[in-house]
Amino acid sequence: MAVPILAPAHREWYCPSCHKTDVTTDPHGGKPHTRFHTCPKLGFLTTPMLPVGVKGKLVAHEREDYVGNEIVRVDANNRPVASIVTTRDNGQDCTVFAPTANGRSDVPPARRNAIARAGSATGSG
Amino acid sequence: MAWSASKIFATLIEDALENTAAYNLKTGGDSFKVSLWDNDITPDNTVSTANRAYAAGQWVSAGNEVYDAAEWPVTGQALDSVDLTVAAAVIKWAAANEVSTGTSATLANVYGCMVYDDTVGDSGVCYNYFGGVQSVTDGTFTVVWNSAGIFTLTLT
Repeated sequence: MAVPILAPAHREWYCPSCHKTDVTTDPHGGKPHTRFHTCPKLGFLTTPMLPVGVKGKLVAHEREDYVGNEIVRVDANNRPVASIVTTRDNGQDCTVFAPTANGRSDVPPARRNAIARAGSATGSG
Repeated sequence: MAWSASKIFATLIEDALENTAAYNLKTGGDSFKVSLWDNDITPDNTVSTANRAYAAGQWVSAGNEVYDAAEWPVTGQALDSVDLTVAAAVIKWAAANEVSTGTSATLANVYGCMVYDDTVGDSGVCYNYFGGVQSVTDGTFTVVWNSAGIFTLTLT
């Protein structure tokens, strides 16, 4: 018996901001997925594309809180960006740029001074 | 206090070094989940091992966890392609970006996520603050991890 070989579905994408187009061949086996690209109109951020035929707009939202020691995503102007929201006629998508939880071995000056004031490590001398 | 920063749980490192928990963060090791949370909680990375677990301490689902029944379920989405790498003095734990299952998720008041080990006691690994409120309406919610990883330790 002949077994038909099904060609993977093609999906066409476009960016409403920079108008880049692309085609994917269903790399996730039918799972929902979104094509991303580096968008020059959105500060070279990793930006979602829309399926061809779906109208929408993309808006990058700056981080609303203090950056501090967070490792955050920044745009081409070095502004911290928290997310890109895609607004469609019938809904909205959200792409969040999660900062990295980071641990560092450099000791902040305040703690360094506290350690110095505390003296040497415990133990009998 | 609410959310203010992204942190690694201190007792994750302690428990690993003291061999009181056998975490495996390498590819093919433990299974991990990423859960979404509102701003009613105050994450704290100095809590005990028990209180950094999913469903314990600040991480009690009722009234705090944000989920969509089918597309970002309660308890969270499973992380894919996790990998732990060491380059010079930088330890990095990364995974594939996480996308809601489907195209009609509705999630409101999302302030951050908590990543936990679904294999070992639902133990929290870290939490990541999204820098403000995020939401999605009848669409796709994607968490793009930073190129520095979900967490990183810089030992310089």
